[in-house]
Amino acid sequence: MSQSTDSLLLDGKPGELSRLAAGVSHFCAEHALGEQAEFDLNLVLEELFTNAVQHGGCEGMSAAVRIELKSLPEGVFIEIADRGKPFDPTTTATPDLDTPLEMRQIGGLGIHLVRQIVRDLRYERVGGWNRLTMLRPT
Amino acid sequence: MIQLTEETRESWHIVTVSGRADGEAAEALETALKSAVHAHARVAANFAALDYISSAGIRAVLQTARAAQTNGSEFAVCGLSAPVRKVFDMSGLHQILRIHGELPC
Repeated sequence: MSQSTDSLLLDGKPGELSRLAAGVSHFCAEHALGEQAEFDLNLVLEELFTNAVQHGGCEGMSAAVRIELKSLPEGVFIEIADRGKPFDPTTTATPDLDTPLEMRQIGGLGIHLVRQIVRDLRYERVGGWNRLTMLRPT
Repeated sequence: MIQLTEETRESWHIVTVSGRADGEAAEALETALKSAVHAHARVAANFAALDYISSAGIRAVLQTARAAQTNGSEFAVCGLSAPVRKVFDMSGLHQILRIHGELPC
Protein backbone atom coordinates (compact mmCIF):
# COMPACT_ATOMS: atom_id res chain seq x y z
CA MET A 1 0.00 0.00 0.00
CA SER A 2 1.51 3.31 -1.09
CA GLN A 3 1.20 6.44 0.98
CA SER A 4 -1.84 7.75 -0.85
CA THR A 5 -3.77 4.52 -1.46
CA ASP A 6 -6.11 2.58 0.79
CA SER A 7 -7.56 -0.78 -0.09
CA LEU A 8 -10.33 -2.87 1.41
CA LEU A 9 -11.47 -6.41 0.76
CA LEU A 10 -15.09 -7.10 1.73
CA ASP A 11 -17.15 -10.24 2.03
CA GLY A 12 -20.53 -10.37 0.32
CA LYS A 13 -22.69 -9.67 3.36
CA PRO A 14 -24.57 -6.55 4.47
CA GLY A 15 -22.71 -6.44 7.80
CA GLU A 16 -19.60 -5.34 5.91
CA LEU A 17 -21.07 -1.84 5.53
CA SER A 18 -19.70 -0.82 8.93
CA ARG A 19 -16.20 -1.99 7.93
CA LEU A 20 -16.59 -0.03 4.72
CA ALA A 21 -17.60 3.12 6.62
CA ALA A 22 -14.65 2.70 9.01
CA GLY A 23 -12.26 2.28 6.05
CA VAL A 24 -13.61 5.40 4.34
CA SER A 25 -13.38 7.37 7.56
CA HIS A 26 -9.75 6.31 8.04
CA PHE A 27 -8.88 7.24 4.45
CA CYS A 28 -10.52 10.67 4.74
CA ALA A 29 -8.78 11.44 8.04
CA GLU A 30 -5.43 10.43 6.57
CA HIS A 31 -5.86 12.68 3.55
CA ALA A 32 -7.55 15.59 5.33
CA LEU A 33 -10.73 15.22 3.25
CA GLY A 34 -13.81 17.02 4.52
CA GLU A 35 -17.24 15.81 5.62
CA GLN A 36 -18.89 16.11 2.22
CA ALA A 37 -16.12 14.06 0.59
CA GLU A 38 -16.45 11.37 3.24
CA PHE A 39 -20.24 11.33 2.84
CA ASP A 40 -19.99 11.05 -0.96
CA LEU A 41 -17.38 8.26 -0.83
CA ASN A 42 -19.51 6.31 1.65
CA LEU A 43 -22.58 6.75 -0.50
CA VAL A 44 -20.93 5.75 -3.79
CA LEU A 45 -19.24 2.71 -2.26
CA GLU A 46 -22.30 1.56 -0.31
CA GLU A 47 -24.49 1.74 -3.42
CA LEU A 48 -22.04 -0.20 -5.58
CA PHE A 49 -21.25 -2.75 -2.85
CA THR A 50 -24.96 -3.31 -2.15
CA ASN A 51 -25.72 -3.78 -5.84
CA ALA A 52 -23.00 -6.42 -6.10
CA VAL A 53 -24.33 -8.25 -3.02
CA GLN A 54 -28.08 -7.98 -3.67
CA HIS A 55 -28.22 -8.18 -7.45
CA GLY A 56 -24.80 -9.36 -8.61
CA GLY A 57 -24.78 -12.72 -6.86
CA CYS A 58 -22.02 -11.80 -4.37
CA GLU A 59 -24.22 -12.66 -1.39
CA GLY A 60 -22.35 -15.02 0.93
CA MET A 61 -19.14 -14.91 -1.15
CA SER A 62 -15.95 -14.30 0.80
CA ALA A 63 -13.57 -11.60 -0.48
CA ALA A 64 -16.25 -10.68 -3.02
CA VAL A 65 -15.56 -6.96 -3.35
CA ARG A 66 -12.24 -5.16 -3.58
CA ILE A 67 -12.03 -1.41 -3.15
CA GLU A 68 -9.11 0.93 -3.74
CA LEU A 69 -9.09 4.63 -3.02
CA LYS A 70 -6.42 7.05 -4.11
CA SER A 71 -6.20 10.71 -3.20
CA LEU A 72 -5.25 12.85 -6.23
CA PRO A 73 -5.08 16.63 -6.68
CA GLU A 74 -8.28 16.55 -8.81
CA GLY A 75 -10.23 14.33 -6.41
CA VAL A 76 -10.47 10.80 -5.09
CA PHE A 77 -9.90 8.03 -7.61
CA ILE A 78 -12.15 5.06 -6.80
CA GLU A 79 -11.78 1.52 -8.02
CA ILE A 80 -14.29 -1.11 -7.00
CA ALA A 81 -14.27 -4.66 -8.32
CA ASP A 82 -16.57 -7.57 -7.55
CA ARG A 83 -16.72 -11.26 -8.43
CA GLY A 84 -20.44 -11.19 -9.23
CA LYS A 85 -22.13 -11.79 -12.54
CA PRO A 86 -21.31 -9.33 -15.34
CA PHE A 87 -23.09 -6.02 -14.77
CA ASP A 88 -22.34 -2.68 -16.40
CA PRO A 89 -23.94 0.16 -14.40
CA THR A 90 -22.85 2.73 -16.99
CA THR A 91 -25.63 1.48 -19.30
CA THR A 92 -28.59 1.37 -16.88
CA ALA A 93 -31.55 3.67 -17.49
CA THR A 94 -31.91 6.85 -15.44
CA PRO A 95 -34.96 6.72 -13.15
CA ASP A 96 -37.69 9.25 -13.89
CA LEU A 97 -37.57 11.53 -10.85
CA ASP A 98 -40.58 13.57 -12.00
CA THR A 99 -42.97 10.64 -11.64
CA PRO A 100 -45.65 11.10 -8.96
CA LEU A 101 -45.12 9.38 -5.62
CA GLU A 102 -47.52 6.49 -6.16
CA MET A 103 -45.94 5.67 -9.54
CA ARG A 104 -42.30 5.90 -8.51
CA GLN A 105 -40.17 2.83 -9.10
CA ILE A 106 -38.19 1.88 -6.04
CA GLY A 107 -35.15 0.43 -7.81
CA GLY A 108 -32.41 2.14 -9.78
CA LEU A 109 -31.89 4.97 -7.33
CA GLY A 110 -28.49 3.82 -6.04
CA ILE A 111 -26.79 3.88 -9.43
CA HIS A 112 -28.47 7.21 -10.19
CA LEU A 113 -26.91 8.70 -7.02
CA VAL A 114 -23.48 7.30 -7.97
CA ARG A 115 -23.70 8.90 -11.40
CA GLN A 116 -24.63 12.25 -9.86
CA ILE A 117 -21.58 12.26 -7.62
CA VAL A 118 -18.74 10.83 -9.71
CA ARG A 119 -17.38 11.48 -13.17
CA ASP A 120 -15.43 9.33 -15.64
CA LEU A 121 -17.34 6.20 -14.57
CA ARG A 122 -15.86 3.30 -16.53
CA TYR A 123 -16.67 -0.40 -16.55
CA GLU A 124 -14.77 -3.42 -17.71
CA ARG A 125 -15.03 -7.15 -17.17
CA VAL A 126 -11.61 -8.59 -16.33
CA GLY A 127 -10.89 -12.21 -15.41
CA GLY A 128 -14.21 -12.92 -13.69
CA TRP A 129 -14.40 -9.49 -12.02
CA ASN A 130 -16.57 -6.47 -12.70
CA ARG A 131 -14.19 -3.53 -12.46
CA LEU A 132 -15.42 0.04 -12.10
CA THR A 133 -13.26 3.14 -11.93
CA MET A 134 -14.38 6.71 -11.33
CA LEU A 135 -13.38 10.05 -9.85
CA ARG A 136 -15.11 11.89 -7.06
CA PRO A 137 -13.98 15.42 -7.98
CA THR A 138 -12.57 17.73 -5.30
CA MET B 1 -26.89 2.03 12.99
CA ILE B 2 -29.69 4.42 13.87
CA GLN B 3 -31.25 5.56 17.12
CA LEU B 4 -34.92 6.44 17.23
CA THR B 5 -36.85 8.45 19.80
CA GLU B 6 -40.48 9.44 19.59
CA GLU B 7 -42.50 12.16 21.23
CA THR B 8 -45.75 14.02 20.65
CA ARG B 9 -45.65 17.80 20.55
CA GLU B 10 -48.96 19.56 20.08
CA SER B 11 -50.54 18.07 16.96
CA TRP B 12 -47.36 16.44 15.66
CA HIS B 13 -45.88 13.04 16.42
CA ILE B 14 -42.13 13.46 16.04
CA VAL B 15 -39.74 10.62 15.25
CA THR B 16 -36.17 11.79 15.86
CA VAL B 17 -33.63 9.74 13.92
CA SER B 18 -29.91 9.91 14.58
CA GLY B 19 -26.92 7.98 13.27
CA ARG B 20 -26.56 6.36 9.86
CA ALA B 21 -29.53 5.44 7.65
CA ASP B 22 -27.61 2.92 5.55
CA GLY B 23 -28.52 -0.44 4.05
CA GLU B 24 -28.28 -2.10 7.44
CA ALA B 25 -30.53 0.38 9.24
CA ALA B 26 -33.10 1.02 6.51
CA GLU B 27 -35.49 -1.71 7.58
CA ALA B 28 -35.63 -0.48 11.19
CA LEU B 29 -36.16 3.07 9.91
CA GLU B 30 -39.00 2.05 7.59
CA THR B 31 -40.71 -0.01 10.29
CA ALA B 32 -40.57 2.86 12.80
CA LEU B 33 -41.73 5.56 10.38
CA LYS B 34 -44.51 3.45 8.89
CA SER B 35 -45.91 2.46 12.24
CA ALA B 36 -45.86 6.15 13.22
CA VAL B 37 -47.89 7.20 10.14
CA HIS B 38 -50.33 4.39 10.78
CA ALA B 39 -50.83 5.43 14.40
CA HIS B 40 -50.80 9.24 14.08
CA ALA B 41 -52.46 11.80 11.78
CA ARG B 42 -49.41 14.11 11.56
CA VAL B 43 -45.91 12.71 11.65
CA ALA B 44 -42.61 14.57 11.32
CA ALA B 45 -39.29 12.79 10.93
CA ASN B 46 -36.62 14.92 12.58
CA PHE B 47 -33.37 14.19 10.75
CA ALA B 48 -31.27 16.94 12.37
CA ALA B 49 -28.97 14.36 13.98
CA LEU B 50 -28.83 12.06 10.97
CA ASP B 51 -25.19 11.78 9.85
CA TYR B 52 -25.69 9.79 6.69
CA ILE B 53 -28.31 8.43 4.31
CA SER B 54 -28.02 6.16 1.26
CA SER B 55 -30.62 5.07 -1.29
CA ALA B 56 -31.73 2.40 1.19
CA GLY B 57 -32.66 5.12 3.71
CA ILE B 58 -34.29 7.21 0.96
CA ARG B 59 -36.43 4.20 0.01
CA ALA B 60 -37.57 3.90 3.63
CA VAL B 61 -38.66 7.56 3.56
CA LEU B 62 -40.35 7.12 0.17
CA GLN B 63 -42.24 4.02 1.35
CA THR B 64 -43.34 5.94 4.45
CA ALA B 65 -44.59 8.83 2.30
CA ARG B 66 -46.58 6.31 0.26
CA ALA B 67 -48.00 4.67 3.36
CA ALA B 68 -49.01 8.10 4.71
CA GLN B 69 -50.72 8.95 1.42
CA THR B 70 -52.67 5.69 1.45
CA ASN B 71 -53.52 6.19 5.09
CA GLY B 72 -54.55 9.83 4.70
CA SER B 73 -52.04 11.02 7.28
CA GLU B 74 -49.57 13.87 6.96
CA PHE B 75 -45.83 13.13 6.79
CA ALA B 76 -43.09 15.75 6.85
CA VAL B 77 -39.33 15.63 7.04
CA CYS B 78 -37.35 18.26 8.96
CA GLY B 79 -33.92 19.44 9.94
CA LEU B 80 -31.86 17.94 7.10
CA SER B 81 -28.14 18.68 7.24
CA ALA B 82 -26.57 19.92 3.98
CA PRO B 83 -25.11 16.53 2.91
CA VAL B 84 -28.36 14.65 3.73
CA ARG B 85 -30.38 17.34 1.93
CA LYS B 86 -28.17 16.82 -1.12
CA VAL B 87 -29.16 13.13 -1.29
CA PHE B 88 -32.86 14.04 -0.96
CA ASP B 89 -32.44 16.55 -3.79
CA MET B 90 -30.52 14.14 -6.04
CA SER B 91 -33.29 11.58 -5.45
CA GLY B 92 -36.00 14.05 -6.46
CA LEU B 93 -37.72 13.81 -3.08
CA HIS B 94 -38.03 17.58 -2.65
CA GLN B 95 -40.81 17.42 -5.26
CA ILE B 96 -42.93 14.90 -3.42
CA LEU B 97 -42.28 15.49 0.27
CA ARG B 98 -42.84 18.28 2.71
CA ILE B 99 -39.33 19.22 3.76
CA HIS B 100 -38.89 21.79 6.49
CA GLY B 101 -35.79 23.47 7.82
CA GLU B 102 -37.30 23.49 11.27
CA LEU B 103 -39.70 21.18 13.02
CA PRO B 104 -43.23 22.09 11.95
CA CYS B 105 -44.44 22.13 15.53
